[in-house]
Amino acid sequence: MLGKVIALRMVRLIATLFAVSLITFLMVEQLPGDPILAILPPEALDDLENIERIRKELRLDDSVVTRYFRWVGDALQGDLGKSYITDQPVSDAIKDRIPVTLELAFLATFLAALLAVPIGAFCAYREGSRVDRIMSGITTTALSIPGFVAGIFFIWLFTLKFNWLPSTGWNRISDKGLIANLKTAILPAASLALAPLAINARLIRADMIGTLKEDYVLSARAKGLRDRYILMRHALRPSSLTAVTVFALQFGGLIGGTVVIETIFALPGLGTRLISGIYQRDVMMIQGITLFIASVYVIVNAAADFLYLALDPRIRRR
Amino acid sequence: MSGQQEPSNPRSTRTPGSLRTALSEMPLGIKLALTWMLFIIGAAIYTRLDRLLGQALPLQDPFYQPFLFGEAKPVEGPSSAHILGTDVLSRDNFSRLLHGSWVSLMVAATVVLFGVTIGGVLGAAVGYVRGRWEAIVMAILDVVIAFPALVLLLALVSIYKVRNLTMIALVFGILGIPTYVRIARASTLGVASREFVQAAEAIGTRRTAILFREIIPNILPALFAYALINAGFVIVIEGTLSYLGLSVQVPEPTWGNMINEGRRDIRQTVLPIFWPGLFLTLTVVSLNQLGDWMQQRVAVRSSAL
Repeated sequence: MLGKVIALRMVRLIATLFAVSLITFLMVEQLPGDPILAILPPEALDDLENIERIRKELRLDDSVVTRYFRWVGDALQGDLGKSYITDQPVSDAIKDRIPVTLELAFLATFLAALLAVPIGAFCAYREGSRVDRIMSGITTTALSIPGFVAGIFFIWLFTLKFNWLPSTGWNRISDKGLIANLKTAILPAASLALAPLAINARLIRADMIGTLKEDYVLSARAKGLRDRYILMRHALRPSSLTAVTVFALQFGGLIGGTVVIETIFALPGLGTRLISGIYQRDVMMIQGITLFIASVYVIVNAAADFLYLALDPRIRRR
Repeated sequence: MSGQQEPSNPRSTRTPGSLRTALSEMPLGIKLALTWMLFIIGAAIYTRLDRLLGQALPLQDPFYQPFLFGEAKPVEGPSSAHILGTDVLSRDNFSRLLHGSWVSLMVAATVVLFGVTIGGVLGAAVGYVRGRWEAIVMAILDVVIAFPALVLLLALVSIYKVRNLTMIALVFGILGIPTYVRIARASTLGVASREFVQAAEAIGTRRTAILFREIIPNILPALFAYALINAGFVIVIEGTLSYLGLSVQVPEPTWGNMINEGRRDIRQTVLPIFWPGLFLTLTVVSLNQLGDWMQQRVAVRSSAL
C-alpha cells in the first residue's frame, strides 16, 4: 500500500517537473518575433554574421519539439545554455550563487522553527490568557508584513539607527569565518523567517491545544509530572510530525522567497543573479534560473510529502 | 409546477440580519479592519475621480515637484502643508499613498474577480460532475500551483515586458485561478452530498440549474473568505514587483515603488519608506483579519447546516 502511494507521488513529481520545464521553455519560445531578438542584447543585433552563427549554435531552425527535448536533455546534464550578455554559462552562475541562497533558506527555516516551537507551546499551555492573545496579535501582524518591507526596516533599525550590523554585502564562511558570515546573514534570514515563524507558531499552538486535551496528557498530570515535562515530552512530540513537514514545505518556498531579500541586502545569491538578469533582459539567464528554482521547489515539496509518510506511522498503515 | 416544493435551501433558513446586528456582532479588530479597507477603497475611488475631474477635488497633486531642476532637496517631515511629509522628489506623500492604493486594489480585485467567477464555476462544475474531467482539470491545476508564484511572475513579467496595469492585473488574475478551483471543488464535494441537492435531483432539476442555484450559492462564503486572504497575498506580491521596478512604472505611484524611491534618503529619514510600508501592512493585516473572521463564520455555518 505504501509502495503504491510512493509510486503515485513519484509519477506526480515527474509530471510536474515535465510541466515546469515545458512552461519555462514555452515562456521564451512564445515571445513574439524572432527569438534571436530576445536572446541577444540590442547592440549585438547589427552584426549579421554573429546572428547567423548564434542561430546555428542554438539550432533555432529545428522544430520546437526537437529543441524542447534537446533543451531538457542538456538541462538534465547540467547545461542550461549560456548568457549572451555576459557569456557566462547559466549553470556556472547557479553553482556560484546557490550557497548563499541555500544558507539563507536554511537559516530562516531554522530561526522560524527555533522560535515558533516555544512560542506555540507556551500559548497553547496558556490558551486564552493575555499572553496568548497578545502573541496572537503579534503573529497576525508578523504574517502580514511583506518580507521586503521588513528587510528595509531591519536595515534602517539595526544598521543605521543602532549601527550593530553591516547593512549589505556578504562575508563568506570560508573567507571570514562563521561569526562574520552570520553578521551579514542574520538580518536577511530574519526578514525571511518572519512569515513562516508566525505560521508555525499558530500551527503548533492549534495542534498542541488539541493534544493537551487528550487523555494521556491528563493521566500524565495525574501522575504528578511537571508541566514543562508534559509539554515537551507528551504534547510536543505528536505535534512535531506536522511541524517537520511544514518546515520542509517552507524551505522550498523560501528558496523562491530569497529573491527579493537578497536584492535588498545586496547578497551574491541566486536571487540577485535572477534580478540582474531581468534588468539586463538576459533571457537565457532568466529561463535557466527560473527552471532551477522551480524544480528545486517542486522536488523539495515532494520530499516533504515523503518525509511525512516516513514520519507518521498512521498514514503508512492506510 | 405549482404543487412543486422548492427544496429547502440553507440560505433561506437564516433570518436576514440587519446591518446593525451584523455590526454589533463584530469584534473590535474586525471593525477596525473593515474601516481601514473602506478607507483604502474610498481613497482609490476618490483619487480616480480626482484625475477624471482634472484635480478639482481637494487633494495635492501626486506628481507635483516644486524643484524640478537643480540639486535634490531633502525630504520633509510631516507639516501642515504635507501631513505625511514629502518624498525624495518633494512630492506629497499622503497624496501619493492614496493614489497608490488604486494599483494594489485593482490587481487584488482582478484576482478575486477571476478567481471567484472562473475558478469558482470551474471548481464547482468539476466537483459536482466528478469523473474524468475532474481528474484532468485538477492534474493540470496542480502543476500550475506547484510553481513558486513570485518566480513565475518575475519571469513572465520580465520576459514579456509587461508594465501596464491592465496586463499586470490580467497575468495575476489568470495565475490566481487554480487555487480558487481547488477550494471551490473541495467545498462542492461537501455541498453536493447534502439533502437539498439530492432533493433537487430527485425532482428532476437540470444539472446546470442545480449547479448555479443550489451549489454555487452555498460555496460562495468559503470562496470569499479565501478571496480576502488571497487579496492580501496578491497585494504583497504586487508590492514586491513594484519595489523591483517590474510593475506599474514611475512616476505613477504604487506603494512598492514608493518604498524603492524612498531608499535614497534612508540615512536621513525612514519616513518615505515607513508610510507605504505601513499602508501595505495595515491593508494586508485587515484583509487577513477579515478573511479569518469570515472563515470562522463559514465553518460555524456549515456545521450547523
